[in-house]
Amino acid sequence: MADTAAAGGAGGSGTRSGSKQSTNPADNYYLARRRTLQVVVSSLLTEAGFESAEKASVETLTEMLQSYISEIGRSAKSYCEHTARTQPTLSDIVVTLVEMGFNVDTLPAYAKRSQRMVITAPPVTNQPVTPKALTAGQNRPHPPHIPSHFPEFPDPHTYIKTPTYREPVSDYQVLREKAASQRRDVERALTRFMAKTGETQSLFKDDVSTFPLIAARPFTIPYLTALLPSELEMQQMEETDSSEQDEQTDTENLALHISTAHTETCL
Amino acid sequence: MNRKKGDKGFESPRPYKLTHQVVCINNINFQRKSVVGFVELTIFPTVANLNRIKLNSKQCRIYRVRINDLEAAFIYNDPTLEVCHSESKQRNLNYFSNAYAAAVSAVDPDAGNGELCIKVPSELWKHVDELKVLKIHINFSLDQPKGGLHFVVPSVEGSMAERGAHVFSCGYQNSTRFWFPCVDSYSELCTWKLEFTVDAAMVAVSNGDLVETVYTHDMRKKTFHYMLTIPTAASNISLAIGPFEILVDPYMHEVTHFCLPQLLPLLKHTTSYLHEVFEFYEEILTCRYPYSCFKTVFIDEAYVEVAAYASMSIFSTNLLHSAMIIDETPLTRRCLAQSLAQQFFGCFISRMSWSDEWVLKGISGYIYGLWMKKTFGVNEYRHWIKEELDKIVAYELKTGGVLLHPIFGGGKEKDNPASHLHFSIKHPHTLSWEYYTMFQCKAHLVMRLIENRISMEFMLQVFNKLLSLASTASSQKFQSHMWIQMLVSTSGFLKSISNVSGKDIQPLIKQWVDQSGVVKFYGSFAFNRKRNVLELEIKQDYTSPGTQKYVGPLKVTVQELDGSFNHTLQIEENSLKHDIPCHSKSRRNKKKKIPLMNGEEVDMDLSAMDADSPLLWIRIDPDMSVLRKVEFEQADFMWQYQLRYERDVVAQQESILALEKFPTPASRLALTDILEQEQCFYRVRMSACFCLAKIANSMVSTWTGPPAMKSLFTRMFCCKTCPNIVKTNNFISFQSYFLQKTMPVAMALLRDVHNLCPKEVLTFILDLIKYNDNRKNKFSDNYYRAEMIDALANSVTPAVSVNNEVRTLDNLNPDVRLILEEITRFLNMEKLLPSYRHTITVSCLRAIRVLQKNGHVPSDPALFKSYAEYGHFVDIRIAALEAVVDYTKVDRSYEELQWLLNMIQNDPVPYVRHKILNMLTKNPPFTKNMESPLCNEALVDQLWKLMNSGES
Repeated sequence: MADTAAAGGAGGSGTRSGSKQSTNPADNYYLARRRTLQVVVSSLLTEAGFESAEKASVETLTEMLQSYISEIGRSAKSYCEHTARTQPTLSDIVVTLVEMGFNVDTLPAYAKRSQRMVITAPPVTNQPVTPKALTAGQNRPHPPHIPSHFPEFPDPHTYIKTPTYREPVSDYQVLREKAASQRRDVERALTRFMAKTGETQSLFKDDVSTFPLIAARPFTIPYLTALLPSELEMQQMEETDSSEQDEQTDTENLALHISTAHTETCL
Repeated sequence: MNRKKGDKGFESPRPYKLTHQVVCINNINFQRKSVVGFVELTIFPTVANLNRIKLNSKQCRIYRVRINDLEAAFIYNDPTLEVCHSESKQRNLNYFSNAYAAAVSAVDPDAGNGELCIKVPSELWKHVDELKVLKIHINFSLDQPKGGLHFVVPSVEGSMAERGAHVFSCGYQNSTRFWFPCVDSYSELCTWKLEFTVDAAMVAVSNGDLVETVYTHDMRKKTFHYMLTIPTAASNISLAIGPFEILVDPYMHEVTHFCLPQLLPLLKHTTSYLHEVFEFYEEILTCRYPYSCFKTVFIDEAYVEVAAYASMSIFSTNLLHSAMIIDETPLTRRCLAQSLAQQFFGCFISRMSWSDEWVLKGISGYIYGLWMKKTFGVNEYRHWIKEELDKIVAYELKTGGVLLHPIFGGGKEKDNPASHLHFSIKHPHTLSWEYYTMFQCKAHLVMRLIENRISMEFMLQVFNKLLSLASTASSQKFQSHMWIQMLVSTSGFLKSISNVSGKDIQPLIKQWVDQSGVVKFYGSFAFNRKRNVLELEIKQDYTSPGTQKYVGPLKVTVQELDGSFNHTLQIEENSLKHDIPCHSKSRRNKKKKIPLMNGEEVDMDLSAMDADSPLLWIRIDPDMSVLRKVEFEQADFMWQYQLRYERDVVAQQESILALEKFPTPASRLALTDILEQEQCFYRVRMSACFCLAKIANSMVSTWTGPPAMKSLFTRMFCCKTCPNIVKTNNFISFQSYFLQKTMPVAMALLRDVHNLCPKEVLTFILDLIKYNDNRKNKFSDNYYRAEMIDALANSVTPAVSVNNEVRTLDNLNPDVRLILEEITRFLNMEKLLPSYRHTITVSCLRAIRVLQKNGHVPSDPALFKSYAEYGHFVDIRIAALEAVVDYTKVDRSYEELQWLLNMIQNDPVPYVRHKILNMLTKNPPFTKNMESPLCNEALVDQLWKLMNSGES
């Protein structure tokens, strides 16, 4: 008998899950619903004339059914929210089904078919409560102009900011010092890197790493590099052309430059 | 050589007259560096029995010669290919020099000779007897020329145009014969038709007007047709072919500039100034530029920085610069002005013979000097004159006289005017390069002396006369003897001077032009209080080589308390002492201001001077109107007064030089005051820096306070709030820029009691480098940074070495470690962000050699040799080669000498080859009578071969 096989299967899983029942109420809730679905699938199969089915195919069909029902639910919820309601109505469901390509007109006839089986409703278990997120601090009460039925404020850590200030460096000497050492560090790191990755020459036969000189490489057209200003210089020329040098704003500019230089080094 | 010259006018040494020449180069192969073409000379015989025609041609392969379409036989013989015959055993300079001079005369066009001798076919003899026109058609080719034409072919991918390959004519004096057969003389003028067929992507630039450019049938090549209707000597014909970028001068549309690909923005900036030079010359000469157009071409691997040819000048591409470069700008402008001056005198007006060369060089140098005076100011001009004078005086005293106008009359060896030289001065090609440079220098100084005598107004009138005669002559049709007016001769020049000014300048000419040598004065004085008279003693040395006796007027300027007075002394044979009456009483009026030469009245602190004497300072020949060296003795306070209060930059410079011998606090103060004075000429202030460093070193035991110049530098260039940090660079004021650059270099020369550079100074320079910030500067700081490295190098003192231990990193002096750290960083940064003309690399290489020489770093030429290879920028190569030459001398390395000699023979760039030889002669690996392992027979063989077979 197909029924027994299906039932047995269902029963087997039931006992197994039963042993877990006490451990997790949420699991229990989902399992009970899943079992009902399985029973539904089995009965539909029986109705369609199957005598037995492999467990894997039953599982697959259950999965399909579940996702179909879920999709109806999700879609119906969207329609209802679209019309600014919170509870789906029948028309939402109908539109959903139509949208999903289901012929709604056949539904009453199908519901009233003679050979349908009646299944027991799933056991009533409590909807599992979602565990509360960690709260930090006291939620702020609504200010008087917001009606109380509006949702509460979220946890304070999600919107409260605590700015920390550092005194901006404006001392000329420190700035210059910083600019100089920054540039020097970048230059040194860069040249050392270039020296490490390429051919080098050394002034000391016994030591090639302390003062590595990037090897001299002849150019095919030596005058081009020698005469044309480098890109850096071009850029600089444009900058200085636009803003004539001014002693007064020197410090300010310097600070600006340091910040950009800093980002460059970070990069 | 027995030509009679002088007042009889010009007689052509050739039995024919050239009227027109066609040069057609129809194939140029960059890959094989070869040229194929033909020339056609139109000549008129001047004698009836002309049967041999001699022309100049060197290294050309001549296929065929036809005269009036008849095949003609020809002989080609170039005696300079092997100067001394190989079988001859004699090997000494004298022998070589004579043989070389003989070889050069044998082909000298000015003597009617030539390498190529063409026989006139017998069928034409009758034709010749009627003195009818002959057309000589010569087919020739050139393969891998060693001179005359220089090919630059970078070895990159792409077509020749994409690679930037180019070719240009070059050479010393008359060397046009290297690239086509011609009469290679400055005195044989004719009109020209020049045709060059080149790749369609290339441009051919040549003399005269571009008449048309025609594509060949396959559209892959273009023919450029140039026409030069102004009679021009073959030696002034030039050519440049390459994928040039073209710029029509925005101010003068007849002027066109050419440069190599990608350099157009630099070209625009560099030439934007040229029109002002044009205007200046045209105005002072009251004469329009003689040619209908002018072209400037900037090329790589230039033979010389500036070469002027008819209506076209060829420059080194390294003269191009952007607006950010300070130091190169005046140098480049000078080059432009120099070449333009030579367009008038040298190209348009040519010379009659070699002995008239000085007139052309003199005039072009002189008007160039006038341009300098106008552009850079009187101070710069006087400074330049002084510099040139010092140069020529030093050269003549060292190597012997420079003779401007050699006359080869009797031709007997014993009265050879240049017996002290190891080369003959009969031909431009036998001269040493240095001698020729000095020759030009002396020529323009003598022109200035002539101006002093006859006034500038007359001088310019003479030039105008020469030019207007020449331009009338140039418009005449050929066969006119008028063309001779376009040649200048010494006698013609002197004649027009006497016509215009009515003054007799014969003694001056005799002294400086017909005679070599300079004058050497020694002066000292005493003040006779009783007579209130200055007793001046002026002695001359006229027995040493390179000197001559001077007789004539000499100006002496005496600055007294009551003012400045000029006295003209008559220098005579035997009188040494001259009494000069003083105007002021020695008692001084305390409140009174002292009038100076220029009318200014100043307050002086007179406490330093001798209470009995009213003399503040004395100057001998202040206007430099004699080519002389003056050694004058006066007290230190007089030099100090001269430095502080004399307004002439030459006087200031002289006093700075003299003060080196007086290391006293007063000298120190005078120099520091000058350094601080903003109005003072920047070059004077710069030399004051070095003098101050020397004085500080002499006074080291008594010196108080911070190192010399440090507080000054801090006050001028460092931040007010933090004196150890230099201001961010701002080079708007060039005077202070130059001072800022120079001061640290001079400071680094300071030494403490242990003869080491004070730690304080080194830290100071390192801080300058560290805090150098150019981000807000309008100008590039590459020269500044390069000088900082020079300063570091200057601070290096010999390492203390314990019995010659090997230099390793572990025993490196900590100060040197810091210096090396900087040099390494700079040199490496150059690879990533190269500076203009790689000035920083150049300084780094020099600094490394200094460290090696002082024993801090192991002496090793490998680094320099890699930088000296072909493919580096020429300045880097020269700096590296200098180090190798120095190494060869210090370490007596045979291997390096061979390496150098090999480069002399094989390097593709003639300038570098010349420069190595030049450096080897300046800093020879060994000298005469010195034991050296380098001096062996194989080397003699090698050098002899090199001398004997070169193509000059």
